Amino acid sequence: MVELEVDSLVTGYSDEKILKDISFHVEKGDFLGIIGPNGSGKSTLIRALTRIISPWDGSVKYDKKNIEKMSRNEIARKVSVVPQDTFINFPFTVRDVVLMGRSPYIGRFKNPDKEDIKIAKEAMQATKTLRFEDRSVRDLSGGELQRVVLARALTQKPDLLLLDEATSQLDIGHKKEVMDMLKEMNENKNLSVISVHHNLNLAARYCKKILLLDDGKKHVHGRPEEVLTNSHLRAVYGVEAEVHEHPKDGSLYVSPVDKKIRSEKGGKKIHVVCGGNSTGTLLKDLVEKGYEVSAGVLNVMDSDLEKADFLDVEVVTEAPFSSITRESYKGNLQLIKKADIVVVTDFPVGEGNIKNLEAVKEGVDHDTDLILVDKDNIKERDFTEQNRGVKLYSEISRKKNTKRVDSTEEAVRSL
Amino acid sequence: MESMREIIRKKPKSFLSFLFLLLLILIFYSATVGTVDIPFKRVLAIILSETPLIGSWLPAFEGSDRTIVINLRLPRILLGVIVGSSLAVSGTSMQGVFKNPLASPFILGVSAGGGLGAAVGIYIGISYYLLPLFAFTAALGTVILVFALGRVKGKTDIATLLLAGLAMNFLMAGLTNYIRYISPPEKEFHLRILTFMFGTLNGSLWKHTYPTLPIMVIGLALVFAYSKDLNLFQMGEESAKQLGVEVERTKMIQLFTSSLLAATMVAFTGVIGFVGLMMPHAARLIVGPEHKKLIPTSALFGGIFLVFCDTISRMMGEIPVGIVTVLLGSPFFIYLLVRNRGETGW
Repeated sequence: MVELEVDSLVTGYSDEKILKDISFHVEKGDFLGIIGPNGSGKSTLIRALTRIISPWDGSVKYDKKNIEKMSRNEIARKVSVVPQDTFINFPFTVRDVVLMGRSPYIGRFKNPDKEDIKIAKEAMQATKTLRFEDRSVRDLSGGELQRVVLARALTQKPDLLLLDEATSQLDIGHKKEVMDMLKEMNENKNLSVISVHHNLNLAARYCKKILLLDDGKKHVHGRPEEVLTNSHLRAVYGVEAEVHEHPKDGSLYVSPVDKKIRSEKGGKKIHVVCGGNSTGTLLKDLVEKGYEVSAGVLNVMDSDLEKADFLDVEVVTEAPFSSITRESYKGNLQLIKKADIVVVTDFPVGEGNIKNLEAVKEGVDHDTDLILVDKDNIKERDFTEQNRGVKLYSEISRKKNTKRVDSTEEAVRSL
Repeated sequence: MESMREIIRKKPKSFLSFLFLLLLILIFYSATVGTVDIPFKRVLAIILSETPLIGSWLPAFEGSDRTIVINLRLPRILLGVIVGSSLAVSGTSMQGVFKNPLASPFILGVSAGGGLGAAVGIYIGISYYLLPLFAFTAALGTVILVFALGRVKGKTDIATLLLAGLAMNFLMAGLTNYIRYISPPEKEFHLRILTFMFGTLNGSLWKHTYPTLPIMVIGLALVFAYSKDLNLFQMGEESAKQLGVEVERTKMIQLFTSSLLAATMVAFTGVIGFVGLMMPHAARLIVGPEHKKLIPTSALFGGIFLVFCDTISRMMGEIPVGIVTVLLGSPFFIYLLVRNRGETGW
């Protein structure tokens, strides 16, 4: 149904040219990811595709019709957008907001009919927002509101859905849920998707094709394995990155290579065993105190990893949503053995990451200080079978030189 | 209260009918109050006898009671209904376009402009009947100036527009104060300017009521016709466009309509504060932010509130109604605010 053709598009704001000659096309059933560094023109492209800004040169066409000749309602029936964030000042209910997605189909003086309400209900069901449809959007969390906006975009019944870093506000679980749902709709309901991603791994995992932008120009456009190569990433982002294949499903993921920039204070080595956003400001505090910090094992896309990357902390990584493999177990163990101090944060323990505790048990010896961040709640955060996490934890805590603290802040103070 | 609001939200039409009935009763009651008290039954009979169609079947009235009710009180009360509902709907539209619950009909300089026009008129001593024309011209002129200042590269930029409105409000108020300062010291003179700035319905005759009626009808219809677009505006201008709204056109039509409504009403009654800012709030608290319900509710709230305040103003010896609206409205509004704190979102 929809066929989007972008031909030699040039556009920008007032006198600043942002997009410089971009051409590509999207066919029915495509799932295109748009990636690129900050300021490369990703969001501008999304805005040009909905005529928020007009082309200075070149054209945007839907089904061979120039966007400049389409009415706003006509565009809104073909394309819907989920922006990065939405701010609503007045207490509309969730249902009201989702139903607004029908407005391109409803006349000025008409009310939504049964069919419109049914479509909105389906969208709320798909985005898991139906159970709070009566609540005011002002009372929702950022993630909930984002799903409501997604439901509104689906209620528009578009041929093409545009996502502008739409999942960046969601936690990792909802991120995956939303992307899985879109993938399903893309495959089974022929919904074409274009999604702008800041996170390369999300793009790699879900997009059939990727468009890599650099300074308003198309750097490369193709299948993930053609686009996500070390040389392309070095050329555009200026970083060295390793591209791996996911052990389970063969999709690609990218992790930045250890940059070997270490604190010059030559402080003690601290290794942090963590995950699931359990570090708080721990990594930053330790780096600032001059320790040589490492961490592991962290899944790609874990927010603890984002912090670690940001701080140039050496990290053992694992593919997204994957269990700890033998290889990363060994990497973790090595760092633990090298460390003078090991900190174990209060991350939830599951079958996937129990190897983190095993590495601590094996690696921490007599001359290593062990700090356990634990609010005495290991039972609550143990999701393994037969309480293996609890047992392992109590074995670890019997080690010599073990200290228990309540919080990551206390851990830093106790050093 | 909570379940009451649920019921109202489920049956908005019944609630509107109830408000309409309340307004009718208030109109009749208000006509009984004043320097001469006229019994309710008699007021009813007088008004019915003058009503087209029904009137020819009823006995006609003569004398002072008839003159007071038909020629003095009724035009004033109906002007109150027109001004109250126009200011309230103007405020609803402004708050919708600006996506801000603190916007009012006077935010773009209508009141300050109108005030200056009136002050100039009074200063040079124009006739009483020309005063509305002076005020209207100045009010609308100010708004057009603000629009011109707020236009950036062919688009109406909300932030620039608000700042331009603020600047013009200060400028016009400053000029008005200057005229007050240099004008002769007679008390009568200053009282007229002050009365305009507080707003009053005192002295309104049919010739004031008639010209405002078509403006109100057209204005309310134009705002109501865009209720869907005003809802979509609350998603942000960019999202509104992506949901099919012609944003620039809507913005221009709404800002012009609401300014025209406010400028017309200010010209005939002076600056009656509070109604345009607070009635949309009160309505939103009860029927929610959806404009198809919000606009008619605001209109009826505005009409009821202003007629009520004007009745009190007459009972208290003709203090300007603008003083009553603020004195009565603010405590009521604070009560609503405290009662609903945190749950309404603004």
